[in-house]
Amino acid sequence: MELLHEALPLKKKYFTPGVVVLLILAIVGMAFLLARFVFGLGAITNLDNQHPWGIWIGIDVAAGVALAAGGFTTAALGHIMHRDKYETIIRPALLTAMLGYTFVALSVAVDLGRWYSIWHPLIFWNGNSALFEVGICVMTYVTVLYIEFLPIVTKKFIGNVRLKGFLAKLNKPLDSLLRTLDRGLNKTMFVFIIAGVVLSCLHQSSLGTLMVIAGSKMHPLWQTPVLPLLFLLSAISVGFPMVIMESTLASRSFGLKPETEVLSSLGTIVGPLLGIYLAFKIGDMFIRETFYYLTEVTTASVMFSVEIIFGVVLPLRLFLTKSVLKSPQGLFIASLLVIFGVLLNRINNFLVAYNPPYATSSYFPSVGEIAVTVGFICLEILLYRWFVNYFPIVSVPSKPANNVKYSVTGA
Amino acid sequence: MKFFSMLILLIIPVLCIAQPTQHSELKFNCSLCHSCESPTKTNPCLKACPRAEIITVHHSAEEAPGYIILDKFKNVEDNYAPVNFSHKAHAEMSVMAGGCEMCHHYNPPGRVVACSECHSQSRIRDDLRTPDLKGALHRQCIDCHRLWSSDVACADCHHENITNINKADPVDRYHPQIEEPERLVYDTDEMEGYVTFYHSDHTNIFGQECNDCHKQESCVSCHIEEQMLGNINLSQEEKHDACSGCHDTDGDCESCHKEQITPGFYHAVSTGFNLSKYHSKVECGGCHTTPKVFKGLSGSCAACHKNWSLENFEHSITGLSLDENHSENDCEDCHVENDYKNPTCDNCHDEEIFYPDFLPGIMK
Amino acid sequence: MATQNRRDFLKTVSSIGIVTAGVAATPTKLKADPENILSNERNGVLVDTTVCIGCRRCEWACKKSHDMQPGSIDDYDDKSIFDIKRRPDHTTHTVINAYKGNSISKPIMLKAQCMHCDKPACVSACIVGAFSKKENGSVVWDESKCIGCRYCMVACPFQIPAFDYHKAIEPDIHKCDFCAERKGNGKLPACVEICPVEALTFGNRADLVTLAKDRIKKNPKRYVDHIYGETEVGGTSWMYLSSVDFATLDFPVLSADTAPGVSESIQHGIFAYFIPPIALYALLGGIMYISKQKSNKEEE
Repeated sequence: MELLHEALPLKKKYFTPGVVVLLILAIVGMAFLLARFVFGLGAITNLDNQHPWGIWIGIDVAAGVALAAGGFTTAALGHIMHRDKYETIIRPALLTAMLGYTFVALSVAVDLGRWYSIWHPLIFWNGNSALFEVGICVMTYVTVLYIEFLPIVTKKFIGNVRLKGFLAKLNKPLDSLLRTLDRGLNKTMFVFIIAGVVLSCLHQSSLGTLMVIAGSKMHPLWQTPVLPLLFLLSAISVGFPMVIMESTLASRSFGLKPETEVLSSLGTIVGPLLGIYLAFKIGDMFIRETFYYLTEVTTASVMFSVEIIFGVVLPLRLFLTKSVLKSPQGLFIASLLVIFGVLLNRINNFLVAYNPPYATSSYFPSVGEIAVTVGFICLEILLYRWFVNYFPIVSVPSKPANNVKYSVTGA
Repeated sequence: MKFFSMLILLIIPVLCIAQPTQHSELKFNCSLCHSCESPTKTNPCLKACPRAEIITVHHSAEEAPGYIILDKFKNVEDNYAPVNFSHKAHAEMSVMAGGCEMCHHYNPPGRVVACSECHSQSRIRDDLRTPDLKGALHRQCIDCHRLWSSDVACADCHHENITNINKADPVDRYHPQIEEPERLVYDTDEMEGYVTFYHSDHTNIFGQECNDCHKQESCVSCHIEEQMLGNINLSQEEKHDACSGCHDTDGDCESCHKEQITPGFYHAVSTGFNLSKYHSKVECGGCHTTPKVFKGLSGSCAACHKNWSLENFEHSITGLSLDENHSENDCEDCHVENDYKNPTCDNCHDEEIFYPDFLPGIMK
Repeated sequence: MATQNRRDFLKTVSSIGIVTAGVAATPTKLKADPENILSNERNGVLVDTTVCIGCRRCEWACKKSHDMQPGSIDDYDDKSIFDIKRRPDHTTHTVINAYKGNSISKPIMLKAQCMHCDKPACVSACIVGAFSKKENGSVVWDESKCIGCRYCMVACPFQIPAFDYHKAIEPDIHKCDFCAERKGNGKLPACVEICPVEALTFGNRADLVTLAKDRIKKNPKRYVDHIYGETEVGGTSWMYLSSVDFATLDFPVLSADTAPGVSESIQHGIFAYFIPPIALYALLGGIMYISKQKSNKEEE
């Protein structure tokens, strides 16, 4: 153990030309959002009575939840399976998950007609509703993610609480509160880690159950009773590719050395996971004999083929190739393909496959909807950048340290 | 036969067959209508009406009340005024459209039953099989009035000022006389030719009544909206139905479908057999006894009058009363080989005496 | 790094287990599902499309009884409105559309409104249980619970619930409530009451099925042998008779499987008395415990 990776705040320059572009896009998105809150959903979206859900649900929520799966998959791998070498990727993945889910919750709130009643599911229950299950699980999971993230915050502030002025009196009690919290969390963290994985499995699959009730309104290529399983499997497969993609981008952006070794071994797990997903997807298609729909060229058949070929089959082939696993570029491209595949799958399930009766036109997102979605993504990247700059999240190679006092592992 | 009569619907005779007045005299089994063994007036335990079998009202349109004011809902909150229904006018119009039964369905013999006796005035009711009164009345009217014109609006019947209509003499509400066509020519695509139908001949000469053919006419068959013109797609069977009662429309196409428009049918010209004053009064079927076949009769009297003999035949009905010298002769003496058209005198007289310059009696 | 001993671990796991089991047990005692009654006494309406004349008085009456600015009743005579196909929305809970029938002068008039399913998808889907199926057959929406997520619109097989897209605050879900309030006062639904030709027959649903079958049997030429809504999605309170195939009238072709059926089975399968989640939790706990022991040994 010559060279340990210790997570430290990066403390790099925040504003770069790229950041400014992201900021502008974020502001544009928020402007449209303001219009939504003043004039109602109809003012800036293309939603109608036939198409009640658009990209805010299809991309921001459904795809957002899937792409935040890195949090629970790495937690399962690093903490539950106890593979210590993946320690370094857990914190970035946790941050992505935390931010991801926060924005999922925000997107849901924005899409809700009565956003100020978002807490209603806590008191009005409907055990039959898949959406209720998703809602409760996501609420709980966001809380769990915040708890999992707490040690990082405490680590940052323990011994560093320096409030000024009349608040200075609070410095000491705050510091001891942080220490108590930290000690307590250290002992019970494993409870939350397991809970996080269980909750993720539950709501990732229930997101799939959501569209089952749409029945014949959904194209048979996607409508299947095993949708929850397919959603869960695809979420598990996309977790590590997301980590690989983020890690590669972050190291490039901050000029760090890419952690190719860890990412390569992560990549070896992706192949089998994608394989299982593909097997179920193809198996389902043959059992329900829906391949018949692929014989004619329609929007549905093209989208389905693209999703399978470029989003599953091609990256599967890449992740099973040794030279790809060893090259950072290869890993990056293969991961991007998986992410593209899952993103497209969620869009397909929620928007493309959904063919309601009595629709006079088909749905395509409005400028406002796209602006808000893009704005949220930009905001998320900006926050990620701020977090890694300010909190100890990204591990940079350093000298052996023996006083690693706190960690999220609970181990 | 060059005159064409104007037919007035009013004078069309309506079936006036004597009807049983007590409905227990009906030939139907009681259980057809009643569900219990001994129905009473207060508890008739009626079943849903068997539309096809039940006997309905048979009165003539002339006896019908002129106007009926439909105001059963005047005490209920209603958006529209009552309707003044020109009953008699409708009764007359119904002759060619199904008759009184059109509205008075399921009417047992005897008195005419009011609509509200069967059709509940309340929409909330136990037996939903019969429409309620409001629904039943509207359906009866709207079925035709909508067909006739799709622009019919509520106020067309629900006049605000019904009292202004002259109840005593509803003449203004009568249907105008219908002009009967002399001749109709059907250009038949399939047969590449024409069917020439002499309408007035059928009514005037062949003794057809309007409702012998026009059984289920609706107003739109005359009051046709332009948009409907392209929509008359009767099947071949339906087109032939009007004729097939008397004519063989299955096998003998050529007798009606001709290459050209044909002149009217005159028995003397077309068949060579002049219907004298006796035969012109006989119905077609009186001589042409095989249904739908009007051919193949010989001109010979004996072909039909098989039982005529010297004893029972009164020669004077032919217009010629035989004098004493000839009255005892055998038929064969003058009508050789049953040829009644060209009698001969040769059997008794020489060539100087011959028919028709010399007659064996006096022409009337 | 390991600061926790084995006893602590087990203690915490068991206490968490007890708490989770307790939480899991409570919802089964609490009423976790919305009211969803399938009474034999439930009402229905039989819509006879061969009788409807398209006078649109039902639209007027519906709006009037629901305080939705009905306007003048004479405005509803406008036939040009049939040039386009309309759907129920935030301005009206029922609409009449004209479909081309066998006769040009007599189009088939079709009333659209909520079908009031026996097993409603919206009741099953709604995240907060804002929809409920009442004993009298009405499927009604509860304003006080709704959060405006529009999942009911995704779930409805007949695409009926409509949303106030133009409202920023208190947008409502709009749909026919089968005049639940009027029925409670012994009145007929507003549309049924005003219908001049009784194209809408109101009554006990079972009686209406018998009635519909009777009508088809007596008039085989007038009707196609199909009561739409008798079996579709497990049966609906509103049923239709027609002279033409229902697919030509834009009715969705649906099987007798209930709309929420598969979804609820999956949902209840995943959460069968919370056993699967708890089992998964225990399994992961076990794996975590074993893998930690293994890694501790390796370190020693």
